[in-house]
Amino acid sequence: MSVLQISEVTKTFSGGTHAVNSFSLDVADGELVCLLGPSGSGKSTLLRMVGGFEQPTSGRITIDGEDVTHLPPERRPTGMVFQSHALWTHMNVFKNLAFGLKLRRMPASEIREKVEAVLELVGLAGYGDRMTTQLSGGQQQRVALARSLVLEPKILLLDEPFASLDQHLRERLREEVRDIQQRLGITTLFVTHGQDEALSMADRIVVMANGKTEQIGRPDVVYRDPKTPFVAGFIGTMNLVEGEVSNGQFTRSGFAFPLPIADGPATLAIRPESLDLTASDASKAKVHRVTDYGSHGLVDLDLADGTRLKSMVAHPDLFQAGQGVDPKPRAVAAYRNNQQIFRS
Amino acid sequence: MSEFVERAAPPLAETAASRRPFGLLLVAIPVFLVIWLVIWPAINAISRTIWRVDADGNTGFDLSSYAFFFSDRYSLDNLAVTLWTTMVCAVLLLVICLPIALYLRFSQGRLPAYVQALAILPMFVPSIILAFAFIRVLGPNGMIDILLNAVGLPKIRTPYLTPWGPVIGLVWDNIPLTVLILLSGLGSVANQFIEAARDVGANAFRVFWHIILPRISNSILVALSFSVLGIFSSFTLPYLLGPASPEMLGPFMQRTLRDLQDPIGAMTQAVVAFGFCILFGLFYVRSVARNRGK
Repeated sequence: MSVLQISEVTKTFSGGTHAVNSFSLDVADGELVCLLGPSGSGKSTLLRMVGGFEQPTSGRITIDGEDVTHLPPERRPTGMVFQSHALWTHMNVFKNLAFGLKLRRMPASEIREKVEAVLELVGLAGYGDRMTTQLSGGQQQRVALARSLVLEPKILLLDEPFASLDQHLRERLREEVRDIQQRLGITTLFVTHGQDEALSMADRIVVMANGKTEQIGRPDVVYRDPKTPFVAGFIGTMNLVEGEVSNGQFTRSGFAFPLPIADGPATLAIRPESLDLTASDASKAKVHRVTDYGSHGLVDLDLADGTRLKSMVAHPDLFQAGQGVDPKPRAVAAYRNNQQIFRS
Repeated sequence: MSEFVERAAPPLAETAASRRPFGLLLVAIPVFLVIWLVIWPAINAISRTIWRVDADGNTGFDLSSYAFFFSDRYSLDNLAVTLWTTMVCAVLLLVICLPIALYLRFSQGRLPAYVQALAILPMFVPSIILAFAFIRVLGPNGMIDILLNAVGLPKIRTPYLTPWGPVIGLVWDNIPLTVLILLSGLGSVANQFIEAARDVGANAFRVFWHIILPRISNSILVALSFSVLGIFSSFTLPYLLGPASPEMLGPFMQRTLRDLQDPIGAMTQAVVAFGFCILFGLFYVRSVARNRGK
């Protein structure tokens, strides 16, 4: 049973920059929560504060009810996997994993047993004698994960662990990490700026921007129902169209959509898969480019004023550049003053 | 078009080949200087000390100058004080410079910049000025004595003209180079290595012992080798600050040559000093090779 509570944590760097601003989050036992955001959103700073590598300016961090806010990293029940692996190259794999156990004065036989078990867990049985420099990037990342897991931390912290790996390896490793995390039931905080990573791995996603929470929720909810234009634009591909609402009708350069909200400016968010296209004259929109991905196609279209929209279509061969089309959204969300005011 | 391309970007091999004579010429100058000023005098000195002309004018193999050096109490005392000074300086340099380098590597802000400037300062102070400053501060009736006298305390036992005089001067003189080499070695210790060690439970000492020290062992070897080689064959500071007897090999050679008019004796001392420096060098090369092989 390991629960992480982050309460009203703020981190202000010299010069007055708020890296993290009044951030609160409860992570349940065995839950994997992804901190997702662009560079500079404060997600890594927050993770480093949980790990003890940064001190919060204010706020409180507790693990299983114990206040760890001011404890140094070596006294926290956390294990961190770093982006650059941070393996000690002067030690072999076994020594990298055994180092933390030796510091805990564990008997040699028990250390060997534990290291072999965790190497087995990450699929590196028999690699103990290898130097870390002889391993591939994926193997190094597994060793880094094993080094954290062998100490059986209450909270596992992953700081963009797949950032330096290629796409194929990244996809494979995130499945493996998710499997291991679920098998061990270890409470995990995962930092990434890759939305596909967050969507495929997390029990919950925390979308961050400028040191603050934009939205917290299950991946499917965050994807389908983004609460702010930032989340809408950051998660997945989204058409964000600025326009005016008048008499229940949203308009932008010949593009119109019924929107039952008060008159005024609004931002319409439409997923490409929710934007249907029908053949029409070129007065409303014109196809700019058609991309065939095999399983589906993506049509880039321009409204009369040049606003670019994307539509996912099942049959891309039905469209060609320069063709006039009429875009018809099936589902939209509308935002005003940075808040969602309508969703269909 | 193709002609233009060929002219604009000639093949790399041709470029390298055309530059080779120029590269060799650049290398030839220092190689020639080393042969002329170091290797040839060394060979000449060794041969002149072992192929000697006897009283009858016959040239033959003769190790009597070495036999004298290694049986003469005074020469052996001088060798011993030279080795002692070198070793004490090496230990003191490590003890003083490693904490400074660690502080400079892991601290942030303006203060470390001032500390670094202070640590590097001796590099720009000539040895003769350093020796003069030493005498004015730590010498008899120097600044320390005057200050102690002003508050009614007795004079210090001055290290001037004792074996500790050259030790203090040489350590001060070698701090900049040692700090810079250690600092460059510490630059290869990424912050994440240290954070990962702290994350698994290592305190500051264990981080230093298990993570930092193994990674900078080559830099320590380089720094100590440079200092040891320089200190072993140093002249100015031991000459100005050291005792008349026993004396370090540098002043000993100079006195043997100038005062005793014994060039063979001085050359023998130089060859012995050269032999010790080669031993230090071999130890350094072997240690670096072994560390790289790990």
